Amino acid sequence: MSSNSRFVTVRKYDPNFLRYLWGKTEKNVRAIPVQSLNVGLDDELVTFELKPIEEIAKPGFFLFFSTVIKLRSYILLLFPLFYIVAKNFADEKFTDPLALCFAAVATLFIYGGLNIRNDIADHISGFDRVNIPTSSKPILLGWTTASNLSKLSWCLLIVGILLAVPVLLLEHDEIKIVAVITVLLLLGQFLKKNSYKEKIWGEVILFLLMGIGLTSGFQEALGSNIDSETVLVGIFWGASVLFLVHINNFSHLLTSTQAGIKNTMTNLGFDRAKIFLGVWWLACIIGWFALHSSFGSTYWTWFTTAILAFWSIPLFIKLSQIRSPLGSDLMKIRSSAHKTFLMMVAIFFVENAWYIGTKLGWTN
Amino acid sequence: MAFKIYSEKDFPAYLPKLNQLYDELFSGGKGFRSKLVGMVANPLGIDAKTQTLLNQTIEFIHNASLLHDDLVDRSHLRRGKKAAWVKYTPEYAVLAGDYLLARVMMNLSSYGNIKLVQYTSEIISDLLEGEWLQDSVVGDFFVSLEQLDRIHNLKTASLFKWCLRAPFMAIERYDENLHHVLEQMGTILGQLFQRGDDLLDFDIRNDEGKALLGDLKSGYLNSFGAYISKNMTRPQIDQMIKSNNLEELVSCFGADPALAKKAFATKVSEFDVMNEKLIQLYFHHLLQLEQILSPSEKEIIKNLKPLTEILYWRRMPSS
Repeated sequence: MSSNSRFVTVRKYDPNFLRYLWGKTEKNVRAIPVQSLNVGLDDELVTFELKPIEEIAKPGFFLFFSTVIKLRSYILLLFPLFYIVAKNFADEKFTDPLALCFAAVATLFIYGGLNIRNDIADHISGFDRVNIPTSSKPILLGWTTASNLSKLSWCLLIVGILLAVPVLLLEHDEIKIVAVITVLLLLGQFLKKNSYKEKIWGEVILFLLMGIGLTSGFQEALGSNIDSETVLVGIFWGASVLFLVHINNFSHLLTSTQAGIKNTMTNLGFDRAKIFLGVWWLACIIGWFALHSSFGSTYWTWFTTAILAFWSIPLFIKLSQIRSPLGSDLMKIRSSAHKTFLMMVAIFFVENAWYIGTKLGWTN
Repeated sequence: MAFKIYSEKDFPAYLPKLNQLYDELFSGGKGFRSKLVGMVANPLGIDAKTQTLLNQTIEFIHNASLLHDDLVDRSHLRRGKKAAWVKYTPEYAVLAGDYLLARVMMNLSSYGNIKLVQYTSEIISDLLEGEWLQDSVVGDFFVSLEQLDRIHNLKTASLFKWCLRAPFMAIERYDENLHHVLEQMGTILGQLFQRGDDLLDFDIRNDEGKALLGDLKSGYLNSFGAYISKNMTRPQIDQMIKSNNLEELVSCFGADPALAKKAFATKVSEFDVMNEKLIQLYFHHLLQLEQILSPSEKEIIKNLKPLTEILYWRRMPSS
């Protein structure tokens, strides 16, 4: 099988370096990084394979779009939305469905746009070349270029922002939430400490954005005020999402450490990171119990905590047994963590559906 | 041909069994790594004494790693003979390996090139990291090729990189561009060598008659094993692990022996195609190297050109 691709090696200070990374090459080829040296340093060197487009397998539109916006991770966004809707419906505080609809759709667009921008940042910084990919990377597969993705991300972000404007007009208090979220996003984008190598500040921002940021944002959008439940659920959700991030970083522990990337997992090292993850998830289960004790019924508190704890056992076992920062056990832990997380969401969903049903009198 | 790159004078004769152990260890080797050093060092006009030092350094490190490797892997044979830890006790094997590494540092530091000493220490450290990681994936039959590549880059490629870069360091040529190109070439050579070697385990181009399925039987899934098992079902992998011979392994690919054989051959071809891409990448770097070297040094290109044939395809180049 012959290939018409060729190679080119460029250094960071070469004007063509960014041109290749952004994919601004001849129209009929894709520049795919195949070998990198000193990633993230001033003397970074990348060898690109200039591959003719006709040699690249093209995905269907749905696969392409769902991969670039990371559709599978939308549950992280949709569940807090559902929870806040269910809670306020049960409490009879749901006063502005129109604003909430705008807020929800705007968030979906902005989230997709940010996911793409994150992928682009990883590609330009070299983060996606350092670690062994655990999911499809559209740019590295040659499906598209960073430049094209950037255009798509700006489209999604602009549509998302435009859709958010009516929310601010309908619910004035939402401005405070949007202002805080915007500051956090800008901090995440521009703070030097959140560079390619330094990821710890990014973890804190993610915890706030995906947790309290989302729950309080939706709470204000539907016409209610932020209360203790909104805040505590936000903290719980942020901690659970951050757990998935830690698990992901744990699966890249070796390669990230070699590249000098600093996050909680690389700071702890393999042995302590295992314990940390176990303790973190145990804290999430305790948080779940505390949250339900405060805001749920006794029956649901004990029943759901028991299911979650039981379902988490394989994860704890796998964490205690893993003995290599490379190898298939890492993938097994990722998979187990994701399944456990999904189970938690499923229980939460059923429980809240029950509360809605009770309110509507379906359970009588 | 017996290969011996050390002098008995280097090691105290009053230590029981030490020289005998080294005699047996060094005599079976082909000395490929020191030949690779020569391929670079000769065109650079490096004097015989320095070349001997470089050759000794790389062979001492390599053989120290073999002494430790065999013990870690519990391999009973090395180069067709009893492994040192079996014949002379594990304690002596560890000490003999340590002694070689200590000797490397002693000889190199007396040469007086601190950058070379530092670089050599780095590759010894990489080698040990690779060994440590490899041991941690023994028994893991679901490890991916990409993960194994990371291990091989530390364990195998580090020595190839040293062979290419150390002669330039010895003559105090520290040009960043040059060393970056050599680093990348060494990485590819190490990977190709390892993959070619792993194929021998499956009787592919196994002209040297290496024992079959040795890695698999000792619980280690090598690069070709990881490649062929990538899309296998759990029962297929279980069957592969239990294979006592190649026929049993090939039967993992189907009940019909002819079809199974064909499917296995297809996997080998696909693996070769994948590695052809690496070879193309090597030649790309070779062209870059040619542009950096002075006319008198161009012989290095000629010397390095056939290496992919030797290391991956396991054949001597026709011209």
